[in-house]
Amino acid sequence: MTGMRTMMWKEIAELLANRRFLWVFTVAVLAMGVLPALTFARHGAKAMAELGALFLVLYVLFATVIVVANTAPDLVLHERVGHTLDYLLTTPLSVGVILGAKVVVAAGVGYIAGLFSIGVQIVAVAMFSGQGPHWLFLGSGVGQVMALGLSAALSLYVAVVGTFVALRLGEQRAAYMITVFSVGLLVIPFVIGWLHIDLTSTWAWHTAMILGLIALGLVALGVRLFHREMLVLYLQE
Amino acid sequence: MDDNAIVCRGVSRRFGTRWAVSALDLTVPRGSVFGFLGPNGAGKTTTVRMLVGMLRPTEGSIQVLGKNPATEGEEVRARCGVMLDNVGLYERLTAYQNLVLAARIAGFNPVERRARVEEALRRVDLWDRRHDRVSGFSKGMRQKLGLARALMADPELLILDEPTAGLDPANIVRVRELLISLAEQSGRTIFLCTHLLDEAQKICTQVGIIQAGRLRAIGSPKSLGAQEQATVRLTLTGLAAGQEHALALPDGVVLRPLGGQEWRADLADFAETEKLVAALVSAGVGVRAVIPEEVSLEEEYLRLVGGDNQ
Repeated sequence: MTGMRTMMWKEIAELLANRRFLWVFTVAVLAMGVLPALTFARHGAKAMAELGALFLVLYVLFATVIVVANTAPDLVLHERVGHTLDYLLTTPLSVGVILGAKVVVAAGVGYIAGLFSIGVQIVAVAMFSGQGPHWLFLGSGVGQVMALGLSAALSLYVAVVGTFVALRLGEQRAAYMITVFSVGLLVIPFVIGWLHIDLTSTWAWHTAMILGLIALGLVALGVRLFHREMLVLYLQE
Repeated sequence: MDDNAIVCRGVSRRFGTRWAVSALDLTVPRGSVFGFLGPNGAGKTTTVRMLVGMLRPTEGSIQVLGKNPATEGEEVRARCGVMLDNVGLYERLTAYQNLVLAARIAGFNPVERRARVEEALRRVDLWDRRHDRVSGFSKGMRQKLGLARALMADPELLILDEPTAGLDPANIVRVRELLISLAEQSGRTIFLCTHLLDEAQKICTQVGIIQAGRLRAIGSPKSLGAQEQATVRLTLTGLAAGQEHALALPDGVVLRPLGGQEWRADLADFAETEKLVAALVSAGVGVRAVIPEEVSLEEEYLRLVGGDNQ
């Protein structure tokens, strides 16, 4: 646990010193908070109906995906470029701790971005709709699960994919594109009719849990595949 | 406790079809400063990576501080300080934060951590720059910070890849003195990869020369320089360049003009010097001075690796 705390401290210190990250985080939170609020201002009280409010959850998920898809590859790639991953591999830290801290921190900041965007949405809707404060989707069970549970599972999934794709590819833009594409893959079973969307709390819980388990499975697979020697060989490429 | 810090027996490492290291036999006694010399691509970095368990040998066995790095890598790495050729510092963090990270990894508590980091930064004259981000540091400052980080956990074995690269002459001397004092005072073993033969000659108690993955020579810098032949420098009168071929010199002696009255003779042994002088005098050549000349490590290195030293 000490190693994990150390690595998380390092990742957070680096993120706070990274202007690009701070810029992406701020823009994603503000854009995904303010833009849907403007729609509310335009359509007024009708949009406050539950279905309309649930539409806003998508923006929360967008904020999460944007932030994690940028952060996770960056946490890996700047280590590759700066040869700091070589240094970490010469320390007693295990590969699981080195990569696990990156996944946890990337997922964490994505989740926080989602929470912040909810706050911005609530404030912006209150300001622009002229109807005072409104809990939006947080007023319903399904909204709460999607905003707080599904966004957590999604941020973990994107962080895992972003971390391991970046390790293998070694290129920021390609890693970002593939990470975003991996989110698109999640929609395919719904589009081709294998799975159906059911806007209930139970369905939302099940979806969040299944996605979370998939993400944890990918973490285990990634740590197994990317052992110390494999990482050294990738760094030599 | 084992007297040797590093023992390699028949160690080889293959990447695809290419052997980066072949049949490496190496013993580094505890408390010694071992210089690992060789041109780029000779297998130095691969050897270092195998020593700390980053790579497994394809063949052979390695013992570092009595442990097998392939299976007990975590323990080996906890007792080693490593500075690779690419120092690998966190550019977005300050010098202080970089060392705090190393201290945290080493497991020091917050009080020890502060003391260790301050001591390390003062040791390499970077205390006044502790709050500066590493991205603004010169190459020399990075090298010094990397060295401070490698020393952070007070390791039994220090593995350094080109630690003086990029340093100015004053700092090179300082780092050399630091390395020698570390080895002498604490009995710490230092494994030093370097291209600078002069550095190896001054710092190392033992050197090994590797080329194309094979260890070509090992021994003290002095013994390596002297192991092949003896050379003497002569000041001669009454002998012009070209006339040396007409002289009846002892078997195996080669006399070469250096310009003016200066000559160099390669002998099988220094004991042959008397025979050479007698032969010269009997041929009517005046012998003003005879000075034994040591073949430097550099000459021996170049003889072994030829034009491979890129």
